[in-house]
Amino acid sequence: MIFRSEASRGYTLSAPATAYVGFLVAAPLLILIAYSFWTQTYVTLDKTPTLKNYRDAFADPLVRHLMLRSVWIAGAVTIATVALAYPIAYFIAMKARKKTIWLLLITIPFWSSYLLRVFAWKLILGFNGVMNSALLMLGLIDEPLDFLLYNEFAVVLTLAHAWAPFAILPIYVSLQKIDPSLLEAATDLGNSPLQRFMRVTLPLTIPGIIAACLIIFIPTVGDYVTPALVGGSDGKMIANLIQVQFGAANNWPLGATLSMIAMLSVGFVAIVFVITATRLGRRIR
Amino acid sequence: MRFQGIAAFACATAISTGSAIAGGTDLTVFDWSGYEDPGFFASYMEKYGNEAPSYSYFGSQEEAFTKLSSGFTADLAHPCSDAVRKWVAADLIQPLDESKLTNWADVLPEIKEVDAIVLDGQLYMLPFEWGNTGLIYRTDKISGDDISLQLLADPAYAGKIAIPDAASSAYALAALATGNADDYTNLSDEQFKEASDFLRSIHPNMRFYWSDAGQFDQAMTSGEIELGWAWNQSELNLIWNEVPAAMMRDVDKGIATWACGYVHLKSSTTPVDQVYDLLNALTDPASGQYIIDNWGYPHSNAKAFEVADQANIEAYGFSDPKSFFEGSLFFDAVNPELEAKMLAEFERIKAGF
Repeated sequence: MIFRSEASRGYTLSAPATAYVGFLVAAPLLILIAYSFWTQTYVTLDKTPTLKNYRDAFADPLVRHLMLRSVWIAGAVTIATVALAYPIAYFIAMKARKKTIWLLLITIPFWSSYLLRVFAWKLILGFNGVMNSALLMLGLIDEPLDFLLYNEFAVVLTLAHAWAPFAILPIYVSLQKIDPSLLEAATDLGNSPLQRFMRVTLPLTIPGIIAACLIIFIPTVGDYVTPALVGGSDGKMIANLIQVQFGAANNWPLGATLSMIAMLSVGFVAIVFVITATRLGRRIR
Repeated sequence: MRFQGIAAFACATAISTGSAIAGGTDLTVFDWSGYEDPGFFASYMEKYGNEAPSYSYFGSQEEAFTKLSSGFTADLAHPCSDAVRKWVAADLIQPLDESKLTNWADVLPEIKEVDAIVLDGQLYMLPFEWGNTGLIYRTDKISGDDISLQLLADPAYAGKIAIPDAASSAYALAALATGNADDYTNLSDEQFKEASDFLRSIHPNMRFYWSDAGQFDQAMTSGEIELGWAWNQSELNLIWNEVPAAMMRDVDKGIATWACGYVHLKSSTTPVDQVYDLLNALTDPASGQYIIDNWGYPHSNAKAFEVADQANIEAYGFSDPKSFFEGSLFFDAVNPELEAKMLAEFERIKAGF
């Protein structure tokens, strides 16, 4: 026998995936960490380890401002998306007959590229875009509204649309798993539909909600293209500053430091969120 | 970034017919998109069996620099004069041999004087095209007498202006507006503060900081913005689309000039003669005539101005190249420390700090 024990069999089976993850996730991450302790001098890299980048970044109010705004925007996107996704997921899981077709419809936004969806919103919200033209035609406004595009609102709206399926699917799965006999029991014991939802359905779908929140929050904090296209100067996020360091400023070490700070911030917020949500979920039960 | 248009057509014609005589496609050029137009290098195509060089594209000079420093190889690249010092410092490009450049004698004398074309007595860039960055405005909304750079800060234009999302260009504008144009590449702390304050003063009026010229052109066309800092390409696009717009070309009121050209990369592997065949084709008066008449861009070859349509030269505003090279702010390389300061401060200004 080649596989002597269960453990060695497990290691062997997971080796290709481990190597893949090692090369494409762990190695780049280590390079990023290394870069964040180096410094840039014009066209060359000074590889003496130093905390200068971290000190500069923490001392800079701009970094703090953009980081807080990124977390704020991602938080708003998460709340908006999950709040809107829950009823849809509930409908599909509990009421809809042709579930497959509904699920297929939900994924339609993914049939076109992310960039195209962002551009589509730009066309809708633009100065002479769909929204303004429609309002002008209906005579509701006299001149185009200019607060639709190039601000935080446009970023939240665009991201909430783009990420909706990521919230619907995990919540749908957790709703699907609920044993109908539990709901029947709650009704038999005299619970109103609202009580039944609050005491049975909602607590049982907490894992789905947590998953949805994390899946949306983590990638949107670092989103680059949406704020770049629809954010204007008031909707810029931390990723836009990171891009400047890797591009125009040609300061990769500082860019790496900002990336590290962004990752640590996201990690911190996510951990706090998971702990709080799990505790809250237990209390409801 | 700089030219769009015509590109799709150019691609289609460039790819056709490929009988291998001398391998015209072996030569690779790292360029802005649009410059693969065969009208630019007709004599090269003639010599190499109707084959065009292969083109790779970049969207900004910073992107090009990053890509080349991380090992991307090509024979020629097309930066602007302000990038040359940095590229030489990073050991990316090699000097050109003037004796092999058949059109060198006809290159506009003013453009030969541009900073960093020649460094330490060695020629590094063969200038190809040049143009202006200036204040473009809707002539139906603002009169030519009233227009000035200071108008950008006028509260009457709240939400009606746009400038490039590029620190060097923004600071060129600010240096002109604060009367520090002569020291643009080496602003003192006080001048730097004046320029930054100017940019802060126009920030509340900003509709957006444009990152591609198309965004600027569309906003000017729709009336979303009424004036802004942009390239002459935008002025031409607006004129060609019959939008009442013009660039403020008064050197006393403030306008900037840039020049771009071709550099020979150190990573070049194609025979040197073939590289110079393309360089010579690009600077041919016939190519110059083509770019002036069809693209509306001024060329580096003085003879091209003689053979091109004089009405076009007049309409596109470069009948007197000398005035721009002497009177306008020239986009020279900013001293690296100042450049880093500009970049950091510009990010702050854009965020409202």
